[in-house]
Amino acid sequence: MAEFIQIILSGLAAGSIYALAAVGFTLLWQASQTINFAQGEFVMLPAFFVLVGMTVLGLGLWPSVALALVLSLLVLGVMFKKLVVEPMLPHGTLPLVIATIALGLLLKESVKEFYGATAQPFPPIFPQEVYQVAGASIAAQDIGNLAVSMLAIGGLQLFLTRTRTGRCMQATAQNPAVAEILGVNVKRMVMYTFLINAALATVASVLISPIYLAKFSNGETLGLVAFIAAIVGGFNQIRGALVGGLLIGVIDNISAVYISAQYRSAMPLLLLIAIILFRPQGLLGTSEGRSV
Amino acid sequence: MTAPIPSAPVLSVRAMSKQFGGIRAVNNVSFDVHKGEILGLIGPNGSGKSTLFNCILGQLRPTSGHCEIAGRSTDGVRPADLSLMGVGRTFQQLSVFPRMTVLDNVILAGQEHEGTILTRLFGRPDAGLTDKAKQLIEFFRLTPYLQTEAGALSYGQQKLVDAAMAFMAGPQIVLLDEPAGGVNLTMLAHLKERLVTYNREHGTTFVVIEHNMEFVMSLCTRIIVLAQGEIIAEGRPEDIRANPLVIDAYLGG
Repeated sequence: MAEFIQIILSGLAAGSIYALAAVGFTLLWQASQTINFAQGEFVMLPAFFVLVGMTVLGLGLWPSVALALVLSLLVLGVMFKKLVVEPMLPHGTLPLVIATIALGLLLKESVKEFYGATAQPFPPIFPQEVYQVAGASIAAQDIGNLAVSMLAIGGLQLFLTRTRTGRCMQATAQNPAVAEILGVNVKRMVMYTFLINAALATVASVLISPIYLAKFSNGETLGLVAFIAAIVGGFNQIRGALVGGLLIGVIDNISAVYISAQYRSAMPLLLLIAIILFRPQGLLGTSEGRSV
Repeated sequence: MTAPIPSAPVLSVRAMSKQFGGIRAVNNVSFDVHKGEILGLIGPNGSGKSTLFNCILGQLRPTSGHCEIAGRSTDGVRPADLSLMGVGRTFQQLSVFPRMTVLDNVILAGQEHEGTILTRLFGRPDAGLTDKAKQLIEFFRLTPYLQTEAGALSYGQQKLVDAAMAFMAGPQIVLLDEPAGGVNLTMLAHLKERLVTYNREHGTTFVVIEHNMEFVMSLCTRIIVLAQGEIIAEGRPEDIRANPLVIDAYLGG
């Protein structure tokens, strides 16, 4: 039982980080029909911004995190929207998807070229202590990761439902043409979405890199997991992406321990196939028609 | 119903034409709408009424001619800014935000008329509009659905939400694009009664595009009939009903 609690908790901790990436993924889809296949690389990159701040500029950890946040907002938010999404979107969703795949490769190879191909140690954000609670070993890092991710997603949800701007962002996602006629600054709302996605990716990056180390290829798994989490939970719901992320984190951990460590990465894919077959709108999603 | 007092027209359309390639969808159309009027704009399919509507609302640029709201030209005004000039509208297609509550839908329709980027981010979440929104929701008898997601309502109820949204910014004139389309008879009678009451209580001017003749005839104080992009008749509902040109072009056709 103690071991089971341990597995569930660390699964939730990892899953909450996947959820950050998945939430950003669904936000981009809703606001601008962008399926961002570079999402994994978006989570990989900010860790290297932090490392550049620390090793090249000699800054401390937190100033480097602040620097990484600013750079991410610029590169993964503003530049991504202006240089990739806006020129490609008029050509349709598929060309844009392919452009994001290319962007993912570019980011990955650039990090490999300019920073290094080896995994880089990343300073932990939380104390590396492990507490014994009722026989279970509980890592402070897991609790910290879970708490920060939940705060970020909860804060985002409050922003979207409890502010005027949040209401405008929802309206933009649900019916942009009418939102515009009602005076909503649709372009600005879409930009906010890209900035929020960049910020979520930065938080995910800073939380996950102390565990997996910072490596140019980290995005491959992360991007896939975020994509699956978004589909499993429901593409048009933030809480869907949250549930999808947590579920995949837990299933991943359970299957590694109780089924087979070799097949653990197949489990999310099996779940994806099952969901597409039996509940294509996702666990919490609602089916939607989209006219193009 | 009392006859409107002649004053500066709320809406004035002057010599408006719209050409698509070789086709003249709207041909030199002029008319005025005065305060408190309910004007019906009817015509057979392809008569140009939707094109005319879209030109008035700034969603299409007319080939020639122009349009004034209370004496101010709408040339170059974006659709989004028309509501600032006192123009409300309902949509032919459903225009509610399906995953937002009815209350949030109606608040949204009024909240973007004022405020800065800061008040939008940090100001009161409802922009002080909850009471006004609730009054309009009550007016359209939607209070039981205040916190219901708009997408869960029936089609007719969503049309009522759309109407409530059109009135949220306190417009001088509301343009209704086929309000009766797809609405069942009970709901239609309700919608008509509410629109007439609103018109009587607030003196708001309406322009209605509609296919449903009964609805137009019983709602409107004056009717303009379009055929092939031109006005072929104009007058009171009973006169329009008896006009042989109209019967020929529309009612009989």
